[in-house]
Amino acid sequence: MRQDAFVARHEAEWRAFERWLEARGPARRADGLPRDEELPTRYRRLCHQLALARRRGYSPQVVARLQALMQRGHDVLYRAPPPRWRSALRFFGADFPRLVRAQRGCLWLAAVLFAVPAVALFFAVLQWPELAHSVFAPQQLAKFEAMYDPADGRHRLGRESGTDIAMFGYYIYNNVSIGFRTFASGLLAGVGSAFVLAFNGVVFGVVAGHLQGVGHGDPFWRFVAGHSAPELVAIVIAGAAGLRLGLALVAPGRLRRIDALADAGRVGGRLCLGILAMLVFAAFVEAFWSSTGSIPAPVKFGVAALLWLLVLSWLALGGRGDDALARHGRAAMPGDRPWMAGPGDPEMPRSRHGGPRPDQVEARHAP
Amino acid sequence: MAGRGRGLMLDTAREIHTPEGVPLRLPAAGPVPRAYAWLIDLLLRLGLVLLASTTLGVLGRMGTGLYLVLLFVVFWGYPVLFEAMWHGRTPGKRAMGLRVVSADGAPVGWMAAFVRNLMRTVDMLPVGYAFGLAATLVDPWSRRLGDIVARTLVVHAPRGDDGRVLAPAPALAPEVALLPGEQAALIAFAERAHTLTPQRQEELAGIAVPLTGADGAPGVARLAAMAQWLLGRRA
Repeated sequence: MRQDAFVARHEAEWRAFERWLEARGPARRADGLPRDEELPTRYRRLCHQLALARRRGYSPQVVARLQALMQRGHDVLYRAPPPRWRSALRFFGADFPRLVRAQRGCLWLAAVLFAVPAVALFFAVLQWPELAHSVFAPQQLAKFEAMYDPADGRHRLGRESGTDIAMFGYYIYNNVSIGFRTFASGLLAGVGSAFVLAFNGVVFGVVAGHLQGVGHGDPFWRFVAGHSAPELVAIVIAGAAGLRLGLALVAPGRLRRIDALADAGRVGGRLCLGILAMLVFAAFVEAFWSSTGSIPAPVKFGVAALLWLLVLSWLALGGRGDDALARHGRAAMPGDRPWMAGPGDPEMPRSRHGGPRPDQVEARHAP
Repeated sequence: MAGRGRGLMLDTAREIHTPEGVPLRLPAAGPVPRAYAWLIDLLLRLGLVLLASTTLGVLGRMGTGLYLVLLFVVFWGYPVLFEAMWHGRTPGKRAMGLRVVSADGAPVGWMAAFVRNLMRTVDMLPVGYAFGLAATLVDPWSRRLGDIVARTLVVHAPRGDDGRVLAPAPALAPEVALLPGEQAALIAFAERAHTLTPQRQEELAGIAVPLTGADGAPGVARLAAMAQWLLGRRA
């Protein structure tokens, strides 16, 4: 068939498809448009025509036009479903803790990378106070001392100036950025994440040791204790996600390296969502609770212990009942594309007969 | 998953095998248009931050907190929100005619947009996106590290169909039978001629002198007439 005859024969069909694509959304129910449920069929026919046009060597303009139409149809048919509030609840209640538990090895390694330098340097600085001067400049040490001066009641704990809200914004910006970077820098074979973890451990250990040594320990611990649970745990999780990413590069196992990286990236992305929530919560506690100097130490430490208990039991127990599904490998990381879900997938809604529910199948195809 | 067909050896087009069995050809975008898009976005973000700092300054201390939260959203959220909610395009990408798609050609999802932008941290290293640039130069589809990890691709969005159909004109049958590739080249020449200068048209038509038997403007006219015939017009 000559090109002109081909175009003349199918022109009306292409125009109808195009109008449907343009009219999606508000003007959707306009008269004369193809109905939504016809679209998969129309799309497939368009694909067929594109294949013919390519095979017969029609002009690039015709082929480009068909390809552009096909691409737009593909976009509509194969887009990801919009995120739902209910799945967000399930994510924080079950999927996230389960996903964290699934990274057990990396999690322990990250915790060790942070805790060992922190504890070691805390005691080392207590023993040899001059050690602090080889990590920080004297002005910086003086600043830390001023921030936690027990004799100075003029400002709040843990800061030189700034209101609660300003510090809340600052903590969000600063801490969440650190969390995200801790994860992302894991792509450098895990070295980046390991460095960030160890570096933060060193800083924390030295500052704590120094302040304890000069007698500012009480305000310091009263400040740090409250938000320590969500903040430290979140950073350790970010480090674990980064280490997992690095591991995918170094030792991809039975996957292709590129697939291992993509897997670790998806896991890390989901972990980062949880980290974001934990760090925003930590910033809230740090800005509005930790900084209040008037609250007596027992209350502060009691609340801190409660928060540690809550965070750890949330991560240890959340979604426990469904762990069998998690081990199945799918529930913890439901595919981004649910229509590719197989019958073995717990994500897949079932009818009583065991097959996919017809309404669900319909919903997937009719956008 | 992806292959490059004959004649596309020099092209960065990535062929994606769709469930319908018809390959989707996506032209991957190289580092230069992407760098421009990034610059445009950077200016927009700086503008946003400046605007916020002046308006929120009125609110005093509380404004500082809001400003810092906004800074966080502009820094980390801006590309994610735009790419996930606006068909894979930030304003800069839109200006440059680029688009982020998932590696299987589908629109980019929230998680992929989030991961690919988190990974900018590494692509930026050691200075000025050097790692990202190196990756785009090595990778056949110009993916930076973030694209590899998130399984995404930056492609040139299809340009709007100019809708121009070759105007009917007298047809002329070629004296020899043409191979399919030659036919396609002739039609493509006729359809694209309006984008070329007359001099360039004549220069190109000069290649086909053995077929048309004429040089210069008459050669161009004959090629156009043969294209009409090949399109199936027998007037």
